[in-house]
Amino acid sequence: MKRLLFILLLPLAFLSCSREVEEVPLYRQYAARQDLTVAQVKGFQLCDTVKTDVVILVADDSAAWASLKEEFDIRTSEGVTSWMGNIEQPAQRVKRSMRPAWRAMAVHDERTIAFYRIDTEEQREALLDYQMNNLENNK
Amino acid sequence: MEHKMTFDSIWEQEERQSLQQRLRQDYPTWLRRRRQRRTALASIAVLAVAGLSIFNFQSSTSKDYDYVACNRSGIAEGHWAKVASNILTIETL
Repeated sequence: MKRLLFILLLPLAFLSCSREVEEVPLYRQYAARQDLTVAQVKGFQLCDTVKTDVVILVADDSAAWASLKEEFDIRTSEGVTSWMGNIEQPAQRVKRSMRPAWRAMAVHDERTIAFYRIDTEEQREALLDYQMNNLENNK
Repeated sequence: MEHKMTFDSIWEQEERQSLQQRLRQDYPTWLRRRRQRRTALASIAVLAVAGLSIFNFQSSTSKDYDYVACNRSGIAEGHWAKVASNILTIETL
């Protein structure tokens, strides 16, 4: 009986332990910074079939935001600044067709930069559709 | 003394026979009950595992993300998925 219970409960224990968080390098690079709140959303659902990873950097104060702006070469001071960033060096701008890449969006009012990972054309289209659908819904 | 021993041995023999008879009668019932108990326990274990698996499956499919990591504690996972979603709703085009 004990053996039966063991066999039944072992996969369950494995499932509960297997949810180990796999951190992307961009998250790891900024997670240690004291002046930033850094989050990584793994498998963010863009539509029924397409997911992507998102890394979010939030500056805790204006000094941290100024530092982030400098690091990512953000020259505007209001609204939203967006660019396609190199996958290893997100501050470096790349062509829209480059894969993989980060779709970066910096929101000045929120002192936040969100990086959406784009590996495939489906992800790029799903990201655009997500934006367009939400914009239409908000109107 | 000899009489006592005889009485004791007869008593013992009777007791043994009675015990054996009881065992013969009760053993199948005991076996059946043990089998029922084991089946019930196994069913409970299977149901528990199935229930938890369904719960896990539902909770993972109802979310719009797989998991969240954050360098600060105390912030709900859902908050970050909402931030990721909200930023995409800001008019940039």
